[in-house]
Amino acid sequence: MNEKKDLKYGFFLGCVAPNRYPMIEASIRAVFEHLGAELYELEGASCCPAPGVFRAFHIPTWLVIAARNITLAEELGVDIVTGCNGCYGTLRDAWYELEHEPELKKMVNEHLAKVGRKYKGSIEPKHVVQVLYQDMGIDYLKGFVKHKFSDLKVAVHYGCHIVKPSDKRPWGGEYECPTFLDEIVELTGAKSIDYKDKFMCCGAGGAVRTAVKEVAADFSREKLKNIRDAGCDIIIDCCPFCHLQLDLGQMEANSVYKDMIGEPYKIPVVYITQLLGLAFGIDPNRLGLVKNHNLTGVSPFIPVEPFLKKVKEQLT
Amino acid sequence: MTETEKQIKVTGKERPKIGVYVCHCGINIAGVVDVYKLKDYALSLPDVVLAREYKFMCSDNGQSLIKDDIEAGLINRVVVAACSPRMHEPTFRITCKEAGLNPFLFEQANIREHATWVNMNDSEGAYEIAQDHIRMAVAKARMLLPLEVQRVSVEPSCLIIGAGIAGMNSALDLAKEGYKVYLVEKTPTIGGHMAQLDKTFPTMDCSACIITPRMVDVAREKNIELLTYSEVVDVAGYVGNFEVTIKKKPHYVDQEACTGCGACVESCPVSVGNEFELGMAPRKAIYIPFPQAVPGQYTIDMENCIQCGICARPDVCEPDAIRYDDKPEFLKVKVGTIIIATGWDPYDPTPLKQYGYGRYPNVITAFQMERLLSSYGPVLGKPVRPSDLKAPHSIAFLQCVGSRNFREGGNNYCSRVCCMYATKQARQYKEKHPESDVYIFYMDIRAFGRGYEEFYESAAENYGINYIRGRIAEVSEDKDHNIIIRAEDTLMQTPIEVKVEMFILSVGLEAVANAADIASLLSVQRSADGFFMEAHPKLRPVDTLTDGIFIAGVAQGPKDIPDTVAQAKGAASSAAVLMSQGEVEIEPYYSVVLDHLCSGCRSCQSLCPFGAIDFDEFRKVAIVNPALCKGCGTCVSACPSGAMVQNHFADFQLNSMINVAIKQSSVENGGK
Repeated sequence: MNEKKDLKYGFFLGCVAPNRYPMIEASIRAVFEHLGAELYELEGASCCPAPGVFRAFHIPTWLVIAARNITLAEELGVDIVTGCNGCYGTLRDAWYELEHEPELKKMVNEHLAKVGRKYKGSIEPKHVVQVLYQDMGIDYLKGFVKHKFSDLKVAVHYGCHIVKPSDKRPWGGEYECPTFLDEIVELTGAKSIDYKDKFMCCGAGGAVRTAVKEVAADFSREKLKNIRDAGCDIIIDCCPFCHLQLDLGQMEANSVYKDMIGEPYKIPVVYITQLLGLAFGIDPNRLGLVKNHNLTGVSPFIPVEPFLKKVKEQLT
Repeated sequence: MTETEKQIKVTGKERPKIGVYVCHCGINIAGVVDVYKLKDYALSLPDVVLAREYKFMCSDNGQSLIKDDIEAGLINRVVVAACSPRMHEPTFRITCKEAGLNPFLFEQANIREHATWVNMNDSEGAYEIAQDHIRMAVAKARMLLPLEVQRVSVEPSCLIIGAGIAGMNSALDLAKEGYKVYLVEKTPTIGGHMAQLDKTFPTMDCSACIITPRMVDVAREKNIELLTYSEVVDVAGYVGNFEVTIKKKPHYVDQEACTGCGACVESCPVSVGNEFELGMAPRKAIYIPFPQAVPGQYTIDMENCIQCGICARPDVCEPDAIRYDDKPEFLKVKVGTIIIATGWDPYDPTPLKQYGYGRYPNVITAFQMERLLSSYGPVLGKPVRPSDLKAPHSIAFLQCVGSRNFREGGNNYCSRVCCMYATKQARQYKEKHPESDVYIFYMDIRAFGRGYEEFYESAAENYGINYIRGRIAEVSEDKDHNIIIRAEDTLMQTPIEVKVEMFILSVGLEAVANAADIASLLSVQRSADGFFMEAHPKLRPVDTLTDGIFIAGVAQGPKDIPDTVAQAKGAASSAAVLMSQGEVEIEPYYSVVLDHLCSGCRSCQSLCPFGAIDFDEFRKVAIVNPALCKGCGTCVSACPSGAMVQNHFADFQLNSMINVAIKQSSVENGGK
């Protein structure tokens, strides 16, 4: 197993993971530890703030708060990493703006001075998937895989902010058909199934879920139909907000669009580090895949048992 | 004696008497700044003896103002404050010459582009800048020296790079006028892309039927030396006297011995995609590109040949023409002029993944469709779709693939031919399969040429082709490899979904892949879009900024066939003008060595990009060959002892401008 040095990151949690899906956070911590990466706490971190909501109302406010969050990691001298597409969108877009617009940087620093902070621009905001794919690399990850789930059929959902806008993302301008997440999924022996409109939004983004839940559920319904038609066993995503929409959204779609759906949806939704952790041989309890007492009544809303049943044979 | 007076004593017979002429340029200049005040300002400058303003200095009347003043002996230097010297410097130089003044005692101050145009809304600022320019021009004018133009002879021969429809037309015209033409083509056959087309819009002429006779004419013409499967590897020299090195790539077949029987092709075990059929049909490693190729010579493609030796066996090649050890040959020729007719490459739509090219078998480019439609193509003119080789019942075209695209992976410009070729192909398909559904998704239909609008109208009216305004967002594939198109019909303002059995991308034209290499080989410029740049977009469309080098056809930008042929004939005519004159004037801006200062360090010799500097071993000084020197000034700035002087841009001339540019010169009254 090749050694990777200097995998140190400030862990930016965001809102949805700690509040609704603690298993996502737990699995990221477990997998990073397993891979020899160190995660530092960012004390005093606030909302990222959400790109669809805050930025839509007042860009300077959005930018200053985002810059403040970045300075927390700057103080520690490490890159900031997040497991949420929304947080990634905000932190990376803000970082990009501040790196390219000296005027904005000046404005931001005038405001940050009031709370005794300064944005320097010494670090880069990264996504958990970006760290896995680029900082560590597929070959590095390969060395950790213990179990292969050869008959698992996966619908990969990327979400939007992780690939767009493409000029501010690290995927070499690729925005139509990226494959980085599929490549990570296929490391586990699972097969990434090509389904119709794979890159369609989960339905939640851009404050649609907050404002018009039925519309969001309609998006999810269509997405889920395509996933079911393609015969996928589970959905793999890399964003807690997509996770919420694809998980809780199944129940919402099942009730709002009962007549259109027929058989209700029950597709397990699994976060990428949960799947990866299992393949690495990490205890499913630590990955939040087995519900313990503390999490009773908390999501996931769609049981993940069918998924566990499917991979059980390879695990034992 | 001041430094400047000394200079005048040394170089001129009499003290400068400068006339300054301020042009109104209609309201281009006079509408922004006060030209009368500028005229008075000019009079306050040293050695200015008279100043005038006039509505258009470039007009006959304007020019005769200058002429009269020179002829009356009032002035012996001329400054015109007007537009860019790119426009009218030649005009005023001729004026001076006609009045008996050395044309290099003229200087132009550009107060239009540099002052009034860019500061249209700031008349005070513009006035200040105009003053600066006039002051600098006058300062230089005081230092000007008379120069003599040089004349060099022009070799009556032309190198044409590229033997498509453009290169062939230029070559034929020049050859018939009696000039020797070297026609260089990198592929084994002449004909270019036009030979691949089935029919041409809007007249539906059979492309092969009109181009093959031309190809034969080219091959038959005595004055044309056809160099196929060859590339230009080096160009030295200058207008009228280019020395060109051409590499003839090895065919690995002795063309003298080969009888063209084709037995080798039958026995060759290696099959690869045929470039001429855009990969839709195979060819062998030993091949001729297509049956009507000119010259009909066999070539071994050594990248794919496994050298099994079958074709060389005496029972296969009876005349024993196979030469596995064939080597490239290098040919040196001297030409007076060069025409670039390198054509284009089709845009590769693979990066536009939303359109599925390269991912779905039934997505093809329009150039592949052209081969499918061609009566001598891989399916003999009965198009089938790649997945099951059946004729599709419905097809759709998407326009502007890789063109008019301001996002990543595309070109900004319009490729000009795609609207019409898609319309043409749609009509052809409809003629073969009247029951089929044919869609064309477009942004705008640009039917600009003669007969094009009628052609398009008829396609929509009489052929029932469905034109849908709106770009396609993405396509996907169903289980039977049909293509599901998702688009917005922007006229009906509604999203639509259409399923078709084959999807054709109307890809645009791009500059050839090695355009950058050609540009540096010939020292010509390219525009931002990658095509070769003409000297002036309106008035010199076939010239480049390098004297003696011309452009023809799509090498300069996307064009249809009639425009390409017209431009090719234009380029031939421009080249012929130079060659028929027999000699050409070269501006005397070359560098001169001051022998007594030259230390013989040879720094200049190693830096000169044009190889214009020789070294006199006996006197140990550098010598400049004026005909080769392009006046770039590299040697002047490199010379550690100040022994290099560039005519018309000498240090003392430029310093005089800089001195007055950075400070207001003390107002000496130069004889007001």
